[in-house]
Amino acid sequence: MTSSVPIIMTLAYLGVAIFLGLRARTGRSMNSLEEWGVAGRSMGPVTLYLLIAAGSVSAYTFMGAPGWAYTKGVAVFYVVIYLSYLALVAWYFGPKVWAFGRRFGHVTQGAAIADRYESSLLGALAAGVMSIASLAYAVLQTIGAAYILHVMSAGRLPIWVGVLVVLSCIALYLYASGQRAIGITNAFQGVLMLAVAWAIGLWASQRFGGGLWFGDVFTTLRERDPAFLTLPGAQGDMSFAFWTTSIIVSMLSFMPPVWTQWMSASSARTIRRSATWLPSYYVVILPMVVVGFIGIYSLPELARADTVALELAMQQMPVWLVGLLGAGTLAASMSSCEPFLHSVALSYAKDIAQPAFKLSDAVAGKLARRLLLPIMALIVAPVAIAEPSNLVMILLVGLGFATQVLPAFIGMFFWTRASKLGVLSGIVVGFIVTLLFTLVWRNPLGIHAGFWGLVVNLPVFVMVSCLTRPASTAVITRFFAIAAPTRSRLNAESKDLASRG
Amino acid sequence: MKHYIVRPTTGRGWGLTLAFVVLIAAGIWPVIGWFNRACVVLGLPLIAVWAYVIVFACCGVMAIGNRLVERSCDDE
Repeated sequence: MTSSVPIIMTLAYLGVAIFLGLRARTGRSMNSLEEWGVAGRSMGPVTLYLLIAAGSVSAYTFMGAPGWAYTKGVAVFYVVIYLSYLALVAWYFGPKVWAFGRRFGHVTQGAAIADRYESSLLGALAAGVMSIASLAYAVLQTIGAAYILHVMSAGRLPIWVGVLVVLSCIALYLYASGQRAIGITNAFQGVLMLAVAWAIGLWASQRFGGGLWFGDVFTTLRERDPAFLTLPGAQGDMSFAFWTTSIIVSMLSFMPPVWTQWMSASSARTIRRSATWLPSYYVVILPMVVVGFIGIYSLPELARADTVALELAMQQMPVWLVGLLGAGTLAASMSSCEPFLHSVALSYAKDIAQPAFKLSDAVAGKLARRLLLPIMALIVAPVAIAEPSNLVMILLVGLGFATQVLPAFIGMFFWTRASKLGVLSGIVVGFIVTLLFTLVWRNPLGIHAGFWGLVVNLPVFVMVSCLTRPASTAVITRFFAIAAPTRSRLNAESKDLASRG
Repeated sequence: MKHYIVRPTTGRGWGLTLAFVVLIAAGIWPVIGWFNRACVVLGLPLIAVWAYVIVFACCGVMAIGNRLVERSCDDE
């Protein structure tokens, strides 16, 4: 394809994103952590719905998901299920996290952990290691975004130029408007992705299935290759064990940007209302998966499965639809990249630099904004341009580790006896097991490495917690007045009665 | 301080917890195995239909949860 229409449409999308992102700051000082970090805790239910939805839908929806459908079949639908479970997690934990932030002034996940366990070291450790997964994720999305610009420009924009273009655009509005820019651009990107995915899916179904009804695509598939319609999938590698443990591990990974998103809500009720309808957004995945299934017969010799939608577009679709796909995929990459870059800068300033150098909140706020640029220039851009082959492995290890921080959250929401040393021990052994079962013995018995890590982590966490000193009564009382208000009230009433009687 | 594990304190809280557990069980083994058949229902593979049943069931349970929580703001 030699037409300039796709790249013009894709660049037009970038222009709109920059315009919206820059405008988001109107009338506010972005040097404070409350404003730049969590948008002054002001986001309403619709913005929050699109913020979380677009943030959780990455380039995977437009590239990876069709690729999985193309190679593995219906195994790809595990993503739809775990994303819905993440909405349940947001509904239950989001309001409590928001209340912690509101009452105790937390703007990051690490700050909440440091406060609950009275250990800035634990907060910094959690923030530092979580940032490995976050940066790997941001790099992957940047590579995806640069690849889209490369394809849409018919190869005229090399990958390194694409990386610089995308990161410069994000840097511009993220530096200027912080979490407010993420909110407004994600809202735009969320709507765009939904429209693009359905336009592409319906067009492909009409062109190759004989009508808008997806049924014809799947009826053909059932007759010719029924293995695509069941687990363990067409390649036989998606067992029930891997499906189940992948869903559980993904559901239990409390990634820092999600925490920041919850803290940006205007109220606890706002989080519940947006989480309630959040799963409905994941109909965005269905049409792109159908495109992947269509590719099984229309592009049988594809070298890279995750390019199936793009290849189908370049070979068959009208140029305006190719341009829409370019804009939609770029939106998906950027909407997921932005929150991770923002949360890493925020965590480095608030959870690591502030306690280490005893900085004031005002200085930490300025530092968070300024750290964004070296993080992009010195870490994300060079790694994205180098495109290391083991990046997916780094991401897998990182996500496996993210799950190992689960004990910190159990102690925050469910168990008053959890101690600092218990959490630390659990994290360390869980991480070692996850690392070994990712790099040395890959997913033994078809079970996700992160799940194996939890199997060892949780008993160690409980045992060590029982043997070591818990946090002070004042902290426990403060936290559990939010995490367990009824229980706290009953305790207070019984103490009151005892003191009187 | 006497330590404790947080759990629901009312019938409504237990009901909601049970509904969440049922939803999660619906998406993993062994339940997902019951829908692991190569047939097309409503134009989609059976597992895809089940995945979207879970999606909308999650919305429904949370919508009910909102009404319960708004009635008693402090249920654990």
